[in-house]
Amino acid sequence: MSKYYLFQDVKKCIGCHSCEVACKTNKGLPVGPKVCEVITVGPRFVDTLPKAAYTFMPCYHCEDPWCVAACPTGAMQKRKKDGIVFVDHQLCVGCKTCMSACPWGAPQWNPAIGKVVKCDYCMDRVDRGLKPACVTLCTTHCLHFENAEAPRPIRRERYARAMAALD
Amino acid sequence: MADTKQTQICPVKETRQRLFSMLEKGGLPVARFKRWGEEIIILLDDIINGRAGHGHMETIESLARRITDQGADNGCSQWGKEALDAISIHRELFESHIRTRNCPVTDCVTLTPAPCQMACPAGIDVPGYVTLVGLGRDDEAVEIIRRDNPFPWVCGLVCTNPCEFMCVRGRMDKPISIKYLKAFAAERAISQGRYQNPPKAPEKGQKICIIGAGPAGLTAAYYLALKGYGVTILESLPMAGGMMMVGIPRYRLPREVIDREVAMMEELGVEFRFSTRLGADVTIEGLRKERFNAFLLAIGAHTSYKMAVPREEDFPQVVDAIHFLRSVARGDRRAPGRRIAVVGGGNVAMDAARTSIRLGCEEVTVVYRRTHTEMPANRDEVEQAEEEGVRFLFLTAPVEVVGKDGKVTALKCIRTELSKPDESGRRRPVTVEGSEFLLDVDIVIPAIGQAVDTGCLDEISDLSWSRRKTITVKGATMESSVEGFFAAGDAVTGPATVVEAIGGGKRAAEAIDRYLSGIPQPELPPVPVRRTRLPVFEISASDKTNLARPDMPLLNRDRRRITFQQVELGFNESAAREEARRCLRCDICVRCGRCVDVCRNEMKIDALQLGYLSANGDQTTDLRITAERCILCGACAANCPTGAMRIEDRGDERILALCGTILNRMKVERCAVCGEFLGPARYHDFIRNNIIRIAQTSGDTPLCTRCARKRAAGKGSEAFPAGKNI
Repeated sequence: MSKYYLFQDVKKCIGCHSCEVACKTNKGLPVGPKVCEVITVGPRFVDTLPKAAYTFMPCYHCEDPWCVAACPTGAMQKRKKDGIVFVDHQLCVGCKTCMSACPWGAPQWNPAIGKVVKCDYCMDRVDRGLKPACVTLCTTHCLHFENAEAPRPIRRERYARAMAALD
Repeated sequence: MADTKQTQICPVKETRQRLFSMLEKGGLPVARFKRWGEEIIILLDDIINGRAGHGHMETIESLARRITDQGADNGCSQWGKEALDAISIHRELFESHIRTRNCPVTDCVTLTPAPCQMACPAGIDVPGYVTLVGLGRDDEAVEIIRRDNPFPWVCGLVCTNPCEFMCVRGRMDKPISIKYLKAFAAERAISQGRYQNPPKAPEKGQKICIIGAGPAGLTAAYYLALKGYGVTILESLPMAGGMMMVGIPRYRLPREVIDREVAMMEELGVEFRFSTRLGADVTIEGLRKERFNAFLLAIGAHTSYKMAVPREEDFPQVVDAIHFLRSVARGDRRAPGRRIAVVGGGNVAMDAARTSIRLGCEEVTVVYRRTHTEMPANRDEVEQAEEEGVRFLFLTAPVEVVGKDGKVTALKCIRTELSKPDESGRRRPVTVEGSEFLLDVDIVIPAIGQAVDTGCLDEISDLSWSRRKTITVKGATMESSVEGFFAAGDAVTGPATVVEAIGGGKRAAEAIDRYLSGIPQPELPPVPVRRTRLPVFEISASDKTNLARPDMPLLNRDRRRITFQQVELGFNESAAREEARRCLRCDICVRCGRCVDVCRNEMKIDALQLGYLSANGDQTTDLRITAERCILCGACAANCPTGAMRIEDRGDERILALCGTILNRMKVERCAVCGEFLGPARYHDFIRNNIIRIAQTSGDTPLCTRCARKRAAGKGSEAFPAGKNI
């Protein structure tokens, strides 16, 4: 895994898809590819109420990524310094093998350039000390971009608050 | 791999890239101007891709001017200025891209013209008409040809076909029979009454006088008459056609063919004045009184060069080829003698020799001072002459005409050797001392080249002539040194081909039209125009490979030695249609070789054997072999800059085709959930092999990216079930 941790606080997410818009705008993508995507699961009945979950699906930046292994040209790479998995467009020839190999559907097809595009945690922004576009523009602040070694214990804190019942 | 070692930079494309990168870097910081800038980029892309129309330049300029004028306060005007400057410097080139849908420096790839079209002196849209012949649309094929050449039938029979020497199919096996398909289409269309003139523009009320009814003069007459000018042609002979009529023998070009195509010009109202010789029967002064607005000098090159050997002028039996062919063409079918020597190795020499055979001369010998390889005559011509019994004496030069009592008895010749190649690579013939011998003949026909008869133009004293005694013109416009006088054909080029004369005549017609309409003349030479963009035929790789160029059926040898019947009998219908299907469509595929490069060097699959894409042809071509290794990944298609290589899902198959030639087709697997096409089993095997060391994926249900993501998202949400308060 990369040394970063992109955490979605599912409880806060309202499925507004701002992250997708921010991502596509930042990468200048045409209709079609969704480098990150919020997928609505449900609605289904929980007790007597219909409930839906909004799952944020970026790339997981696997430890030993199948897309990198599948790529015959070396375009799909894992960055040494932080483990970000990215595609080098100079090398990508558009054979789509990474798309077929990935079990999560992370690499996407960009028909405008005939190459694959995928989540790279907005490497260029990260290198400038910024956060990925999706995180920066998230309206409910449900997306968090953190160092994997020191994540903020959001769920732990919330659980602790619920248990304390000081109210 | 690409044909051109170094692609030149096209200013149109360069302008687009520069403006785009300035835009990307924030060159237009105000949203409204940025929007206009993006609109300009879209319009420039239209020009680069051959989709632009007349309004494009106006719109681009007006947007750029608005950006320049209104954007001064916020740093936008620089971008607009750059755009306006580029357009004003390269306006001619921008407009030529729009008009011709052709990029002369072959940098705008989708506009790169086919080599055959670029090789044609008349710039005919070859892939266009060949495809139409393949589709059985002969009348449309003729219509396409006649936009650039009003003589499809004549050229279909006698053109020297420079196009076929450039034909890319020639690197695979043999070139497409581009020449004859023209004649086939024209013959069909005429016979079915579907060979028609395009509509004529309204009368302009201006008159043009053309001197000479040869291919150049007639071509100019045709295009000028179509534009609505009144055209009068003066011709010293009693019939139209010039060298086509009195130079080219009837066994190559029947008179009816010329007459039919000339009749199309008469139908447009072109006036012919036959048996009217400039300088003898009429003068320029007299013609000026008739109020002609412009003149075109297309007098040809009808004077033979002399051999410059002693006693050449002493005998009536020394007849130059031009006189000889002319008198035969005009009906004199008596044999000039029994034994003939034809001096020279060009097409005229072949014509004279083969004509002599037909007239009943017993022994016809061509004397040429170089070897078979250096002969400028067409290969087919030489071969057919040999078949008809013409003898050849190579490495031999005439030194003296020998005779007595006023009659030729022999031609004294000398042996020659070829020197070492000089700086230009040409090997000069050098005479071998003491090797003289006598060739017993009673007629000598020199055919060593022609010159322009300058005498008839003496009256135009300001006319400037080249060192070779041809009329000097500006190449792009055929304007001579005298205002209002244009020139074309052999009179400008020296003795050349019918198709070169046609090209010159067409250029002259366009320039005369501009001259009389007050439009400035271009500086750049004209570029061939893409007349049409037709879809490709679908054909299997083995059919594409196995179709062979048909041999031209010829009249039997004995009859060829006796009559002037047409020698080449033409293809039958199915042969012609099949021949058209061999075309590789170089108007679409620009032979950049990117597909092969991707497949071989990047995917490391090496399925494509397309050696013909490389100009030096050092690699083999086998279209059928693709299917052996191809996994249908589509990388070649994704990297094809022109859409020549396409991958398509149809039925339950994925099909890879290059310009319609099906290179590979395989059954595809589908997404287990939504049924989307995923790719053939071999493609998935390829991926599995790549990731096998880290993952065992076999047995997994095949899913498309969307369904894979959905399934993963669903699993994720189970881990944190909705409704639990954490």
